[in-house]
Amino acid sequence: MDVSTSASETAGGTQWPSDWLRATLGFLALRALSAGPSYGYAIISELERNGFGTIKGGTLYPLLTRYQAAGMVTTEWKAGDGGPGRKYFALTDYGRAELTRLSADWLRFTNLSTHYLGPEAHTKESST
Amino acid sequence: MMHETTDKKWFDDLILELRLRQVHGSAIGDTVASAQELLADTGQPAEEAFGPARAYAAALELPTAPQHEWVRRALWPALLGLLAFLVFNQAVVSAVRSEQMLVSPLQLALVATPVVLIALLPLYLAAAIRRIWVLITLSAICALAGLLSGVAAPTTQAEAWLTIDPLPWLIVSALTMVVLSIMNTIRSSRPNNDDIPDPRSATTHSSGTGTKIIVLITNWLFPILALAMLGLAFSFR
Repeated sequence: MDVSTSASETAGGTQWPSDWLRATLGFLALRALSAGPSYGYAIISELERNGFGTIKGGTLYPLLTRYQAAGMVTTEWKAGDGGPGRKYFALTDYGRAELTRLSADWLRFTNLSTHYLGPEAHTKESST
Repeated sequence: MMHETTDKKWFDDLILELRLRQVHGSAIGDTVASAQELLADTGQPAEEAFGPARAYAAALELPTAPQHEWVRRALWPALLGLLAFLVFNQAVVSAVRSEQMLVSPLQLALVATPVVLIALLPLYLAAAIRRIWVLITLSAICALAGLLSGVAAPTTQAEAWLTIDPLPWLIVSALTMVVLSIMNTIRSSRPNNDDIPDPRSATTHSSGTGTKIIVLITNWLFPILALAMLGLAFSFR
């Protein structure tokens, strides 16, 4: 069984292990909407610009559809500049509250992981 | 060009998969438009951006209508129409010849075969639509059962299990087919709230004249075929 989850560098930036992205993409997408309503390609570009690699539409849209069903996100079609309209996603109050809660939880989790992975934890373990 | 063709096929598959899941037309329109929007932005082929249409339709987990709704709206009327047509076919030759209609058990079983196959459609509809050979096999079984029911019809009263006056059956089945066709025509002429709208332009994919003619012919298919059978019965009298 291949359990390798190391990140690899690609032409489009860092390609993170898919398991990591699966676990975090939900609140990362909510974070991308925290500045205001946005549309599919802009959300993908925002995540790519911040180093999370290229997220596919087949991954992003089902996630946003689930968030819409859960009341965390609303959608609205707005006319584009001379082109066809765009579907804008916007955070609801509930979505914003969930983003705050998940961000805090994630921070605690990463602190815990970082602490455990750090050399101090191992030194402490071996001395006991 | 190839890109456009494969994308068109992908979108056709996506609409089919969402329809099979009983997703409402407005949700399908929204899904199609948002996928087209992203493809226009990225320039990717649809399969590359969204994966296989069937998997994408499943991943979206869109709200679906209960299955019994289409069974009540479409399947039962179609089944009743087919039954009326089959009864008409059995009765028409005897009625034209002013003879009694003779029925054998085998003949009844053969007539019932297409009716049972159509009644069980909800169990295998998705498989039949996705695999053309399933659809062809089912159509062949129905056609063969229809032909064999003619062959299995008893020729003498001694062979018959039932002897029936064909005229009432002919009239009732003909009236049933006509009433169902009128109902279907009225239903299809009304604005359909399950059409697939384009949320970007607030318009619906409107049906062309060709589609309207096909819908009209489909609505009146059984009466048209029944008239043809009546004509054949008169010509071979």
